Amino acid sequence: MGGSARGKAMVCPAPLSFLGGVDPSSGKILDPDCAVHGSTVRGKILCFPYGRGSTVGSYAIYQLRLNGKAPAAIVNRSAEPIIATGAIMSDIPMVDNVDTSLIMNGDSVVVEASSGTVELKGVRERHVVTSILRNGAKMLLLRRSEEVGSYQRQWAGVSGFIEEGETDIYAARREIAEEVGLIATKPTKHISPESFRNGDTVWTVHAFLFDVATRRISTDWEHDEYKWIRPDELAQYNTVPGLGVVAKRLLDESIP
Amino acid sequence: MHLTRAEEGTLAGEEGLSRQKAMELLVALGDIYGARRLIPVASAQVSGASFKTIGDAGISWLEEIAAEATVSVPAMVNPLGLDMRRWRSMGLTAEFHSKQARIVKAYDSMGLLPVYSCTPYLAGHRPRRGQHVAWAESSATVFANSVAGARTNREGGPSALAAAIIGKTAEYGLHLEENRVPRVLVKLKSVSEEHIPIAGYLTGKAAGNRIPMVAGLEMTDDQHKSFGAAVAATGAVSMYAFDRHGTESMRARRTYEERIVIDASDIRRCTEELSGDDDWDLVSIGCPHCSVRELKSMAAKLKGKKRKGEEDVWFCTSRKAYAACPEAVSVLRRFGKVLCDTCMVVAPIEEIYARTATNSGKAMVYLPTLGKQKASFRTTDQLLEAISR
Repeated sequence: MGGSARGKAMVCPAPLSFLGGVDPSSGKILDPDCAVHGSTVRGKILCFPYGRGSTVGSYAIYQLRLNGKAPAAIVNRSAEPIIATGAIMSDIPMVDNVDTSLIMNGDSVVVEASSGTVELKGVRERHVVTSILRNGAKMLLLRRSEEVGSYQRQWAGVSGFIEEGETDIYAARREIAEEVGLIATKPTKHISPESFRNGDTVWTVHAFLFDVATRRISTDWEHDEYKWIRPDELAQYNTVPGLGVVAKRLLDESIP
Repeated sequence: MHLTRAEEGTLAGEEGLSRQKAMELLVALGDIYGARRLIPVASAQVSGASFKTIGDAGISWLEEIAAEATVSVPAMVNPLGLDMRRWRSMGLTAEFHSKQARIVKAYDSMGLLPVYSCTPYLAGHRPRRGQHVAWAESSATVFANSVAGARTNREGGPSALAAAIIGKTAEYGLHLEENRVPRVLVKLKSVSEEHIPIAGYLTGKAAGNRIPMVAGLEMTDDQHKSFGAAVAATGAVSMYAFDRHGTESMRARRTYEERIVIDASDIRRCTEELSGDDDWDLVSIGCPHCSVRELKSMAAKLKGKKRKGEEDVWFCTSRKAYAACPEAVSVLRRFGKVLCDTCMVVAPIEEIYARTATNSGKAMVYLPTLGKQKASFRTTDQLLEAISR
């Protein structure tokens, strides 16, 4: 599919049905599961995970176009036939394979359907590492001190920026040496990066699991407290965004 | 997806806007499903023909694409929202008829065949074993795959039309041998002939999106028609295998993810759950469309009897079957309307009736939803008894 578009993002966190989910005459979102319920999709970069509902939904998209209420572009996490068919019938540029949870309502978005890219104006991506250290059945949590630049007093794994020219595994080992004074060798597991949106930043977290031989560590100025906890206790702690998701993926043996 | 140079040209718009759009659709769907290429199809069967289901947007889209495009393979149209000749007797408005007529005109001008039936395989368009086709109607798709041994996914209306225009479809899903493997065994135990639609209803529910191997019941083509329609309505699957006259992918002995037994008590329970009540505005028979054999069999049972009851009766069939058995039709017409081109699922039934009885497992899925009806299942004989004495 070709075409390009720019406009303000409208983000629906839940799967969207155009048949009954969007009013064809006004373009307003009727779906109560959608946080932007009541706003019009007209001219917007409409972002939602994927479509649902009956095949007549393709015609519902076309009806929006006939009424001059169509979105400027559609961005999906995964394309499915109903939405793709409707977008082609209606000449609406569409891009898929985009994590729509990283887009926020009102973002200025440029969509290039021919190359399949979505650009968020004024939003930057920062790559960080987070390592979960495990000893026996317990994992290490560090509380970020008041000296650090972000997420003060929140609990985290061993984490930090990936510096220019560094690989993620190198950065992980460097942070472990700096922050807890251990020499880490081969990670037990690493997972594909997880991205989280916070304000104007998309944090892309490269996460590793290391099994370490000791619970004796020495923290630096970046942390003021540490604890070895069971993974199921993690929910009781005020953690940095995304730590729970990353820890679950690293520690659940059924997830590759 | 790999495209030939000719296909690239079509996609670039060298053959006009309508063919470009059709090609864009096929390519986009092929990409979604990970198809490697387009393959030629021997025929297409296009759903989205009733004004009730596609609305004003559907009319505009069809008229837009019909401005330039014609089909390049035989393509049959699914049932309409009314009988084009006897729509007044159905109690529908002239406005609905004029909208429906625009849809018919658009399909006609593109060269589609005015079959207006969900059973094109009974009207001279049965695909051959192994043939690739692009069919959309769920009950026809399941028959083509399971009984005729052809290969098709359940296309959407627009994608089936795109396939008809280009003469190709994307090669994914049931076009590929490896996806035609039954994964769950459904053993039907002591299912009587008249409860075959219920057996299909339960089989589709049990199978979900897995192709079932159906064992324990020998069926005629007509029985496969009712069974498969129900399977495709309650399940998300467009094919089943069975242990007689099997399709090619069944030859190997397989191990199944799950083995499910559907016995007489399951059938009885489901029949009770779907039985509704005895108070009907309409008795509807012919989902999928009645075959000639079914029309004749019902006529034989009704011959010499008198009409009983106040409710309307619809026998839905194809124009071709209607024309093939005038004597049976004249018997049936004493008991109700013998309608062509349409059925209780795609006609705007909710504008005429509120309570409908049917012998169809498929219609028991769509009458309460699409048709907003209070629906009651009865066997064919029970319905015939209810309307005759």
